[in-house]
Amino acid sequence: MGKIAVPKSQGAILRNTDHAILGDIADQGKLDEQTPNFVAIENSEGFKKLIARKRAFLVPSIILFLSLYIGFNLLISYTDLLDKPFLGAITWVWVFSIGLFIMTWTLVTVYMRRSAQFDTMASETLKEFNYDGEANS
Amino acid sequence: MSASVIVLFLIIVGATLVVTYIAAKRTSSASDFYTAGGGLTGWQNGLAIAGDYLSAASFLGIAGAIALFGFDGFLFSIGYLVAYLVVLFIVAEPLRNLGKYTLADMINARFNAKKVRAAAALSTITIVVFYMIAQLVGAGALIHLLFQIDYVWAVLIVGVMMTTYVLFGGMTATSWVQIIKAVLLMVGTIIISFLVFMKFDFSLTQMFSHMKTATPHGEAFLNPGVKYKMPLDTMSLMIALVFGTAGLPHILMRFFTVKDAKTARSSVMWATWIVGIFYILTIFLGFGAAAFVGSEAIIKENAAGNMAAPLLAQALGGDLLMSFVSAVAFATILAVVAGLVLTGASAFAHDIYGEIFKKGKASEKQQMKAARYASVGVSVFSILLAIFAQSLNVAFLVSLAFCIAASANLPVIVYTIFWRKFNTAGAVSAILTGLISALVLVSISPSVLSPEGTAILTGNPIFPLTNPALVSVPLGFLGGWIGTMVTKERDVLKYSEVNVRANTGGFRQL
Repeated sequence: MGKIAVPKSQGAILRNTDHAILGDIADQGKLDEQTPNFVAIENSEGFKKLIARKRAFLVPSIILFLSLYIGFNLLISYTDLLDKPFLGAITWVWVFSIGLFIMTWTLVTVYMRRSAQFDTMASETLKEFNYDGEANS
Repeated sequence: MSASVIVLFLIIVGATLVVTYIAAKRTSSASDFYTAGGGLTGWQNGLAIAGDYLSAASFLGIAGAIALFGFDGFLFSIGYLVAYLVVLFIVAEPLRNLGKYTLADMINARFNAKKVRAAAALSTITIVVFYMIAQLVGAGALIHLLFQIDYVWAVLIVGVMMTTYVLFGGMTATSWVQIIKAVLLMVGTIIISFLVFMKFDFSLTQMFSHMKTATPHGEAFLNPGVKYKMPLDTMSLMIALVFGTAGLPHILMRFFTVKDAKTARSSVMWATWIVGIFYILTIFLGFGAAAFVGSEAIIKENAAGNMAAPLLAQALGGDLLMSFVSAVAFATILAVVAGLVLTGASAFAHDIYGEIFKKGKASEKQQMKAARYASVGVSVFSILLAIFAQSLNVAFLVSLAFCIAASANLPVIVYTIFWRKFNTAGAVSAILTGLISALVLVSISPSVLSPEGTAILTGNPIFPLTNPALVSVPLGFLGGWIGTMVTKERDVLKYSEVNVRANTGGFRQL
């Protein structure tokens, strides 16, 4: 779908009935008076930035924890590498396991901090479109 | 049965009934019934999630498994915890932003199609039934062990309690029973772990070197491979655990009890701390039981090791501590089954009756009536199944529930949130492919078929893995993709709406 310019000066909340703005999608017959213009919000700079920021955090984080988790399972299933001692009788498998616990708590904590920014970006985007309900924040 | 057990048992029953009585006064609408009015705070819901999640299988089962098998007993805990990252990063916030009472609500925020709702309700009901049978059969056996009450009576006591909480107190009572249970469970676990650690002079190296010689397994006790010897089988189970949690309907439903995505997020944070600390402490419970009770004495009471924690409590703190641990185990069972009854009832009363038959136009009074009938129906049905399943080996049903959740629910959730082309046919086929493949594969697996007759049926397994997640999860995703690609229906405008609502929390439809 082509990019839709959104004039910010308009003030009033944009509705799908603003045919001039919606242009090519207005004739699809699925629009009604009460629906906010989600396409315009989705294509706004603020929303795009929010999604980009979220992805920049989530994609690497998900790849990181899944590869460590699956890697751990492969290591213990197919090799004896983690059976070697780490400290006294404590073997590496325990260290790696507790490491996965610490990884979980760390990623949760980091996400909690980052998501405060996401909340601000989300509510700013909503404000831009004069949405008067509550955003995440 | 000692006097202290009876007193503690009655205190728990009494306390939860008081909670239910207070909750009943506050439960007047369908929203109160299903979501406690959406008024829980982050820490409350975090504790309730932990209370909903940590079943007696976690408490008694994992402690026992560590005592008997060392590291392999601990292995699942890693999957159970890391799974919360999938919940937090992918599911929790969009679910809260799009849904109302059930998982089907969230998916239907995009599709608004009866067949999608019916498919989602079917998968919810299947998961709830399997999980419930495993819990109730386990509960009956455990209560029999702990309190020497007959199996049938034990199931009936638990059944009546869970029905009472849900029927009168809805989600408010269920949540507070889960919160109380989580606190009791943590207190009990911390006390025993502390006592165990004290015996080892608070030295981890001393504890581990003692364990090297304390069990029949010798050094192998501290390394993987004592119990799980088939790599692919273990991988498949671990896949089910890490992806299943984010699709478990009774866990997902808990996210509707908070007011917004921010609170949903902080509830996951609380839950990961509580659940994680609990699992780490089970190492102390398991090692302690192996060292101070001994595997012979544990197996003598129960071959699966379920009595390890209570026996350890007795060895360390006498009858009083053992009574406390037994009472905690009882509370644990109640909290989990209550959550399951409520979830099952929501699928029948809200999804099937309210939305499909009444097309969302049921009055508040009709909705409440349906919810209560459904709660009783789900309870009675599960109690009957549990009584008939007494002698069956149903422990695998918990991991099967995780597998169905990962195969049938997670793909449709991910596609709904992230895939613009995804459509009604794709949603139905994602759910059904995941559900049916998991069910069919498990029914021809070693969990159901064993040549020696140790499983449900006697025969040679056709499918080699005890848990089919390794195959059925990819099939669920594939089913959703094929269903979408072979059909023409697209609604990109609706996706824009879902995308905006899921990511901003704005425009919530109430």
